[in-house]
Amino acid sequence: MKTYGSEPGAPTSVQVGISELAVSDGDDTLKSYGLGSCLAIALYDPDGEIGGLAHAMLPDGDTATNSDRKPGKYADTAIRALLRRMVERGASYTSVEAKIAGGSDMFEFDSFGDGVGKRNADAAREELEKLGVPLVAEDVGGTHGRTVEFTPGTGTLLVKTSDEDENGVTEL
Amino acid sequence: MKLDVNALGTFYRMAREGTGLAAGRLTHMTGVETRVGVTKLNFMRGREIRRNFEDSRSKVGVRVELSGAIEGHSLIVFERENAIQIVETLLEEADPDSNLEVEADEFDRMSRSATTEVGHIMNSGFVDGWADVLETVIDVSTPEFVDGKTAEPFFEDVDEAPERDDLALLFQSRIEAVDTEIGFNHYLFPKRESMATLLDRLRTSDGIEYDKLDGFDRMAERGAEEVAKTATTLTGIETSVDIRRLNFVSLETIPEQVPDEKLVSVAFEFEGVPSGYLIFLFDEQSAREIVDAMVPSSIDEDGFGEMGTSAIEELGNIMASGFLDGWANVLDTAIDHSTPEFVHDFGGAAVDPVIVKLGTNQEFAFVFDTHVVADDREFDCEVYAIADESDLERALNDLDVDRIEETPTTATFQEVDNA
Repeated sequence: MKTYGSEPGAPTSVQVGISELAVSDGDDTLKSYGLGSCLAIALYDPDGEIGGLAHAMLPDGDTATNSDRKPGKYADTAIRALLRRMVERGASYTSVEAKIAGGSDMFEFDSFGDGVGKRNADAAREELEKLGVPLVAEDVGGTHGRTVEFTPGTGTLLVKTSDEDENGVTEL
Repeated sequence: MKLDVNALGTFYRMAREGTGLAAGRLTHMTGVETRVGVTKLNFMRGREIRRNFEDSRSKVGVRVELSGAIEGHSLIVFERENAIQIVETLLEEADPDSNLEVEADEFDRMSRSATTEVGHIMNSGFVDGWADVLETVIDVSTPEFVDGKTAEPFFEDVDEAPERDDLALLFQSRIEAVDTEIGFNHYLFPKRESMATLLDRLRTSDGIEYDKLDGFDRMAERGAEEVAKTATTLTGIETSVDIRRLNFVSLETIPEQVPDEKLVSVAFEFEGVPSGYLIFLFDEQSAREIVDAMVPSSIDEDGFGEMGTSAIEELGNIMASGFLDGWANVLDTAIDHSTPEFVHDFGGAAVDPVIVKLGTNQEFAFVFDTHVVADDREFDCEVYAIADESDLERALNDLDVDRIEETPTTATFQEVDNA
């Protein structure tokens, strides 16, 4: 979520809301809460310790009219926007790696067809492949929600489910 | 007065833009990091708006009158304690050595004028944002300080403040300070004629008569009452409708309103004119109360076992029928709903699939938002009915407003197909 007037220096925790994306570095954390069919896309450059998180809602931005205004809304445009912003900040394109989480299919409604969450994960994989960014880890699909926390400096993507036992947290 | 989705979408962007500018200025002024909270276009009855003010907490507000492209009143409302906090922060910024504490019971002249200044800068932020989006000029009067525990002092002299039963179009935004409790609400009460002119300019289709929306909202109101009545009948817990409003929001806003915690929800898709999705959300404690009331023998189940789940599903199913039958009767059409889908997970995760689905074809949605509570114990149920845009427009156009008063909305329990 966009904030106004962040203090430079100390590590901050930024909430990345639906259709938003954020790029940061070091020990800052980027969080997205309660993903169901939405997809969290984390890109990072392990050498430059720069990374970003997008909370995408839909697969395909190239056919949408508002993807310029809201690149974070679509899996494909979110990945490109993250890459661009990271490179602008000093990341090296060729070392960038990706992790994704989310894209569940919580409901079996007729109107949902083959699943709205799966489409998001598929679109992200396809775009990453097109751009030559290796997808190094993923925790997608299923019928449960996820909350994610990403640290750009280490590239760690913590994925939490709503189970309170030890199975509730996975580190990607 | 006629509206359409394009015009409302522009209003929505105005509200977002204005909130962003206001947040930036608040940060600039106080040095406190801020973020934009939920922004909504609400269609609310006068009495519901007034109830927002009546939580027995003292409030202070800063009101300006607008002229030009938008005529009406813009009002910033702080909880009194929050206003004091902002004033303290401001005075500290100005003079870090002073150890000034504003006494809560004496909102003195200096605090008043500081609050007025903050409120005015906020109001101007909002208004400048709207003017930017509309590429026009909106003039702002000198600010007026208001305080009170009810809506009356805030609405006094505001001609366009809605009467009890009037459905007002209201811009509501929230700005939160990061890591503190400072937040405030912003309201815009536009003059109807000024709104009608603007809507005409922004509309890209024939649009819907505002009165139809008013009719539809009355219908939804009865649907909401039906939900509370059903809940009472089935659980024996006395419930009532606490808040009810029709929101026009960007799809992304809908899950953002849902608490981050783990919730119990029952979701349905409904088909007909209109079609869409209906979601009932309960906090865990409330869901447990319901299960205890409906199937006391399930008390030993771990979490929500088979009996608990089916009890909640059954309740959801009958509430859904009550809600939707009201619509179908008035619209003289059939609206079918699916079997219930039970989800016990993060609240947002139960709502986002619906916006992901609708998001392919629409950017905004009308959300019928209802909050049902119990008088004497934990029973908290949020109901979201999210309509498919194209069907809703058709349904609204087909609506015969006069039919609403004539048609009984009560669903009889025998009719319910408990599949």
